[in-house]
Amino acid sequence: MSNFVLLIQGFGTALTPMNIGACVLGAVLGLVVGAMPGIGSLAGVALLLPLTYKFNPTTAIIMLGALYYSNMYGGSFSAILLNIPGDSPAVVTTLDGYPMATKRKRPGQALLTANMASFVGGTIGIFILTFMGPGLANLGLKFGPSEMTALLLIAMTSISWLVGENPIKGVVITCFGILLACMGMDTLSGAPRYEFGNMYLLGGIPFTPFVIGSVGFAQVINLINDREADNEKRARGESDGMKLSIRGSMLTGHDFKRLLPPALRSGFLGTFVGVLPGAGATSGSFMGYAIQKKFKSEEPLGTGAIEGIAASEAANNAAAAGAFAPLLALGIPGSGTGAVLLGGLMMWGLSPGPLLFDSEPEFCWGLIASLFMANIFTLIVAICVIPFLIKILSVPIKYMIPIITVVCVVGAYSTSNSMFGVIIMFLSGIVGYLLNKNNFPSAPMLLSFVLAPLLESNMRKAFILSGGSISIFFTRPITCVLMIIFFAIILVSAIKPMLSKKKNG
Amino acid sequence: MAAVGAVFAYIGFTQLGFWEKEPKPGFFPSIIGIVLVITGILAFFQTLKEEGQPDYNKNELSVILGGLSVIVLTFIIGLIPTAFLFVLFWLKVIEKDVPWRDVIVIEIIVAIIVVGVFAGWLQVQFPWGLFELLM
Repeated sequence: MSNFVLLIQGFGTALTPMNIGACVLGAVLGLVVGAMPGIGSLAGVALLLPLTYKFNPTTAIIMLGALYYSNMYGGSFSAILLNIPGDSPAVVTTLDGYPMATKRKRPGQALLTANMASFVGGTIGIFILTFMGPGLANLGLKFGPSEMTALLLIAMTSISWLVGENPIKGVVITCFGILLACMGMDTLSGAPRYEFGNMYLLGGIPFTPFVIGSVGFAQVINLINDREADNEKRARGESDGMKLSIRGSMLTGHDFKRLLPPALRSGFLGTFVGVLPGAGATSGSFMGYAIQKKFKSEEPLGTGAIEGIAASEAANNAAAAGAFAPLLALGIPGSGTGAVLLGGLMMWGLSPGPLLFDSEPEFCWGLIASLFMANIFTLIVAICVIPFLIKILSVPIKYMIPIITVVCVVGAYSTSNSMFGVIIMFLSGIVGYLLNKNNFPSAPMLLSFVLAPLLESNMRKAFILSGGSISIFFTRPITCVLMIIFFAIILVSAIKPMLSKKKNG
Repeated sequence: MAAVGAVFAYIGFTQLGFWEKEPKPGFFPSIIGIVLVITGILAFFQTLKEEGQPDYNKNELSVILGGLSVIVLTFIIGLIPTAFLFVLFWLKVIEKDVPWRDVIVIEIIVAIIVVGVFAGWLQVQFPWGLFELLM
């Protein structure tokens, strides 16, 4: 039977009132949890897992799938409106989302761009999952340590050279992020390193408080400078009157033309990244954004460009869909959230693996069909809440400062269940503030912080496999191609400024 | 930044081990530390050539002190009371001209987020500072 027929049967399973209700509930809860800084998809799915105990396995996993999926949508809300990413994949969305909402005064369009791009990326991801799921999972398995090392080197180099105008500062901040990620346990041997005698640092610097601080709290410190101007504006009756309607938030035909190409590109790229073990939606969104830098954008990326939001949001939703391929077809979770979902599947007596599609077709295709449903329901719910969300931006800055500070503190605490998370948030906020003052881009630091453990463990595994020989990076076909791309990026980035200097003078 | 790189590279080489038949825990951070030292020095000289130094504002310090006071106060009276007190202090002492009606609305919003969503729905166990001794 073709996959298409099986998918139609899957819709038959998913389209029962009970499953539709579970899907909608999962979508709504996922949006709320995703928008809360510090919770994220992993904690969200884990926290809501007990809610599904009373359902049958299909309904339960449909709800969890919808929740996981809509989390990716929700993460962009606080990223765009408050410059606080709800979840790590939304870090990149802040780069263009927040400037588009505040400097370009198009918050509704920024949110809608994120939602539409998420929808496009997610749809591409689910289509690829439907027709190529098992094959794609096997391709992901071909990515050994050397291939992953080369791929991660490309991701890091792209973003550090391309974000910001100064490549040297980009490299400095990338290295700084990597070193921060090296603190705690060594990824392979488990030996403590760079913990400086601090017990809490043995577990390393927790990522979410670090992001909330370096992006969110740093933003609060900067907001204080805009407070006086905002107060004066309001006293003169010139407050920023945001349009609080769906119509006022609509994208124009021209906006759609700008949104679609990056969303389509990132949809394909993100799905592939999502399939790779351990890469996840965060790597997907960073890579989508880095690739977009190579293409023409109407406005420069980082200044509130639709293309930037579309590239990162489409990639992270596509990666979320792609991550289901190895989970279902091979029983290998691509991320922490995938591991929780795998635990849920096993709890209900299902054994993910190559036979799952044959032994439990009703479940597998019902789940895939429910992802389509979740994509549509989440988009509808997200569009409906836009007018209410935009209202946040019309709140005076002097009120926003204490509210965001409290959200940062509570969000940082909730991820670690310890004040250590709050202290890390506070310190990284000061670091982020100092970096902003000195024109250092913070995005490369965050990217390298996320990817460094993966890069280090894969690089060391590759060396161990090759007996210490560097040839492993040039003798394996996929690795060799990726390394050529890596060197080409460095070469082009180094030559480009020289050529433009020559041209100008 | 260069100093940070130097510390990491030094510890990596001397304490963690760089290479013994295979890469050791200090291998990766030492390499990155060296790159950071080199690029950090380059960035420093580049900054000297740049025009205009960053200007720091004393208002910015008030936010930093606010964040610090939240941390300190949390150890004494717990996180939830601190959150409410911080909002009250900020709006009535730092901002001064905020009417009570707005203060109450903002406190309600904070209550919905902190108590309703995080503590109630997501069941985050917030610290209660010295009150924990009484519980």
